[in-house]
Formats: sequence, C-alpha cells, structure tokens
Amino acid sequence: MKKTLLTGTALICLAAPALAEGTLNIYAWSDSIAPELIEKFSAETGATVNYDGFNSNEDALTKLQAGASGYDIVTPSQHFVKIMIDEGLLEDIDAKDLDAYAAVDDRWKGQWWDPENDYSIPMAYGTAGFAVNRDLYDGPVDSWGVYFEPTEALQGKIASLSYPDEVVGAAQLYLGVEFCTEDKSEMKKVYDLLMAQKPYVAAYSSDNIENRLGSGEVAAHFWWDGNVLRTRDAGANLEYAMPKEGLVGWLDSYVVPKGAANVDMAKKFIEFMSTEENATIQYNYYAHSAPVKIDEASAKYTPENAPELFPTVPVEFSKACSPAAQDLVTKVWTDLLQ
Amino acid sequence: MTRAALKSFRLWGLVPAWALMGLTLIIPVAIVAGVSLADRGPYGGFNWALNVSSYREILFTMGWTDELEFDPKYLVIIGRTLAYGLATTAICMALSVPVAYVIANARENWKPFLVYLVTLPFWVSMIVRVYAWLIILGNEGLAEKTWKFFGGGDVDTFLFTPGAMLTGMVYSYIPLMVLPVYAAIEKLDPALLEASHDLYGNRWTTLRRVILPLTWPGLAAGAILVFVPAIGTVLEPMLLGGGKQMMMGTLIQTQFGGGRNWPFGAAIAMVLMAMVVIVLVLNARRAAAIAREMEP
Repeated sequence: MKKTLLTGTALICLAAPALAEGTLNIYAWSDSIAPELIEKFSAETGATVNYDGFNSNEDALTKLQAGASGYDIVTPSQHFVKIMIDEGLLEDIDAKDLDAYAAVDDRWKGQWWDPENDYSIPMAYGTAGFAVNRDLYDGPVDSWGVYFEPTEALQGKIASLSYPDEVVGAAQLYLGVEFCTEDKSEMKKVYDLLMAQKPYVAAYSSDNIENRLGSGEVAAHFWWDGNVLRTRDAGANLEYAMPKEGLVGWLDSYVVPKGAANVDMAKKFIEFMSTEENATIQYNYYAHSAPVKIDEASAKYTPENAPELFPTVPVEFSKACSPAAQDLVTKVWTDLLQ
Repeated sequence: MTRAALKSFRLWGLVPAWALMGLTLIIPVAIVAGVSLADRGPYGGFNWALNVSSYREILFTMGWTDELEFDPKYLVIIGRTLAYGLATTAICMALSVPVAYVIANARENWKPFLVYLVTLPFWVSMIVRVYAWLIILGNEGLAEKTWKFFGGGDVDTFLFTPGAMLTGMVYSYIPLMVLPVYAAIEKLDPALLEASHDLYGNRWTTLRRVILPLTWPGLAAGAILVFVPAIGTVLEPMLLGGGKQMMMGTLIQTQFGGGRNWPFGAAIAMVLMAMVVIVLVLNARRAAAIAREMEP
C-alpha cells in the first residue's frame, strides 16, 4: 500500500513538469496576437497554447499580484512593466541575450522601465486618443477640447474608458498638468474637467468599443490608434483625432511572470514573434506599430493608408506614478463615478 | 441503528459537508476579512496588519484640501445598490405572480414544458444574455423600433440609463422568483378559494386573506433569491448602465483593479456580505416566528 502511494506521488511529480513542458499560457490584450501565428507556433513546437485576454493594465497587474496566475507570458504597457519589476513580479529572462532583442529598434532599448533590458521585449507601441464616427459628427477634431468640453453635436454621444489610466493622462495633456503630479490643486483641475464632461458621457466602458463606435451608438470614443485603424479598415467611417495638445503614448512588452511554469517555452514564443516574417504578420493583424524589424515590402499599413499609426502631434508616454500620485488619480476617478 | 451510532453518524457523517463549507466558504471569507484589515500595498496587493482605516475610509476620506472630512459618497453607492436591489425584487415579484399563476393553472401536461421555458435562459451564459440587451436596447434596436411603431416620439437611446440597468437586472433574476412562487401557488388548494367565496369574501379579500398568506413563503424565498445576487451585480451596471453610476459590485472591482486599494475593496465586500447576512437572519427569524404560530 505504502509503495503504491509512493509510486503514485512520484508519478504525479514527474507528470506535472511533463504537462507544463507542452503548454504555454498567454495573458495578453484581447485579440492582440494573430491567431494564425498561435497556430503556427503550436505546429512548430507541438505546444498547446492557451490565450486569455485582458482589457486594462490594471487587470493584468491584479492577476499577477494575486499570485500563481499560471501564465507564462503577459504583455503590459511600459509603466506597468516598471511597477511589476519593482514589485518583484517578473522573471529575469536576460532579454538582452535573446535574438529578439537584436531585432528591437534602438529607440526602445535601455528605457526607464527596463534600463538593463533584463525583463522585457517590446511587442507593439502606439497612442491613446479619441476617435469620432464621421457619419455622426463632421466638426473639427484637432484638440482634446472637442472631447472633454463637447459642443452640442457631441453631447451625450461620447464614451470613455472604464479605467482612469490613459483618460486622466489625456486630460492632463489638455490642461497642461504634469503626468503623475502629486499636487492636489493640479489634480483638482483634472477632476473638475472630467466632472464637467460627465453629463455628456453616455458610457464609461472599455469593452466592445468597436461596436459602440462603429454602429454609431456613440459618436466619439476614447480609444487606441491601431484599434481605430482596424475598425476603419473593416468599413466603419471613423477618424482618429490628432489633438494639438498631444497623444498619450504606450508600448506593450512581452514579460514572463515570476515562477512561470514554462519559461523556456515563453522565451521561444518571444523569439518566434520577433522574427521579421512573423512580426510582419503580427503587424498586419494587430495594426499597431511594430517595435521590431518588419518586412516593409509586405507591411499592410503605410503612412498613406494608416495615418493613425503616424501621429503628427507630440506623443507623451505614460509614467509609473508614485503611490501618492496614483492615489490622486484614483481619487479623481472614484469621485467622478461615485 | 442504535442511538449512539446515530449520534456519532450525525457528527462524523457531516464531516464532508463541513470540510466543503470550510474550504469554499469559511476560509475564503476569513481571508477577505483579513485583507480588509491589512495595510494596502503601494501598487495594489497588501501587507498583513490590524488596521481599521479601510472601514473608516467608507465614511471619511481625504478631501481635495488635505483634511479628513466626512464624505457620504460611499454611503450613496451603498444606498443606491440597496435601492436597485429592492426595485429589482419588487418588479420581479409583481411580474412573477401572474406568470406563476398561469403556469400553475395550465393543463397538467403543459406544466413541465412551461417550467422548462422559465429556466431556459440559464442554459446561456449570463454575459451573452446581458449583451443581447445591448442589441435590443441599442440604436435602431427592437426597443426603439417598437417604441416608434406605437407612435413614441424621438428617443436618443435607451441604453446607458438606469432603466436599461433595471431591465437587465429584472430579466436576469426573474426566473429565481418565478420558480418558488410557482411552487407555492401550485400547492394552493382551490377548495380554500371556494371556501373564501362561500363566506362572501370578494376577490380582493380572497387575495389578501387567503392567497397571499399561503404563498408568502414562496414570495419570501423568491425575494431573497433575487435580492441577494441583485445587490452584488456587476455586469448590468457596467454594460447596460454604461458604468456611470457605481454600485457596490463595481466599486469593489475598481478598488482591486484601477484603485489598487485591496483592503478597501475587501472592506466594502465585507459590508456587502453583512447586508446579505442581515437579510437572511431577518428572514430566518420570520420563518421561525411563523412556524411557532402554526404550532397548536
């Protein structure tokens, strides 16, 4: 009896890593990785790939903090990469030694969120701004004022995100308030602006944006560049605004959570996604700018057909705020939606 | 079985049930209670401690001018949640009594089918069902077309309004009310109604003095089954209400997510749980009182 038990336990111990060796659990932005590439990766390596989507960096951070997320790869934005590193939530994968690192555009190397390039390989970058449905609104879109202080044409026809992250950033750009300021009076201005906008906002929601804006349920929506591009490409009459005050920049990276079951497979996936051929397929699918080298000749989006990806206004990247500054951001948001 | 064996079986036979309760209910609730007393981590997460500041925060917050001030905003959210819960329960009750009555009086071979129809929505994911209302209530949706067909004026949208939220909540939870009410009405002896009429009770009296007291246990059970999930709702306020007005469910979610204040989220969760417990205790006492009354 004892022997069977022991053998049984030993078998389970042996079986667990064997099982893990064949699976890769990805937690990335919803619909952000080309399904075609996931199939190809499965075929090449024999791995079973599971894909879960998130709609906000906060969701990703919360999952990792809750511990034992079971994911091997996550794709947070730059300021959350910084927080995750500081909180000890990521595995040091010596990213700079990967082949993928050589493919990364120099301007994304050695950045403040991962100065030694130990933890992250960039996946995509872009901007957060707002888009309008041109079937419903034909006015100007050259300023954040159009969105935050809407004229009658847009009143009640605006939608925002359900999280403060980039929305507060955009309001700060409009008001000329520093990102991550700890100055209460400055943040009060942001609050006042958003509060004055609230009566004209139909919904605060980060889900299902393409339907809400594409179908004309709302006429203006806070959104990301590539998503606007994809929806416009699918036939919706959208325009991505270029506000003169600037756009909020982001860069998502592949990172590996601490204690991931399958670090090797995760690295293999990062290498796989960063080859020129696959990065091009990914670029054509995701429609967000690629931080790695792609095959320009077969790239679907160019400055001519995709003005969304080539901003003509300044781009300011979100920062990782101090806890005090973050509290103010949260206060703005809970006071706004109370 | 001997008396002693029966006694020991009562003790040990329930061990699996206790183990299940402990693992899936008591320990998780204890963890949430513990987190609600913890110190918040700077970027979310928490550090174990004994700190009641999360509960104090429900009433007092740091104002824009850097001083602790009484702030009713969370009380407003709690009150709103209760109000929506009560409204949902009341509407479900009003709608489910006639439905249950029709089912109970349907032809015998139709009854199982009608009951099956009531439970049918449960076979589909709740998210999908709530999304369906986005289409029904949305621009040019069924609701708007019907409204215009019957000569209603121009409407901007039905979506993202308190009405849309309430509609979704009633729709989601009404089967939980129909079933117990049906069970109660089904058991109602028609002879009692006849007796009431024979004693010159008119319809109103019969409803008030005979039908309602006899079906009250079913109505009470349905009310609890609807009220409890209704005050914890997250989906309807976010999708149909447009996330413009926080409910306790969405507030808890925000605190664990964007707010990065887990202890405060846990404290609100404890308040929500306390509200549910109060309702259940009140109901249990009421049921006990009725049982005592029934005894000769």
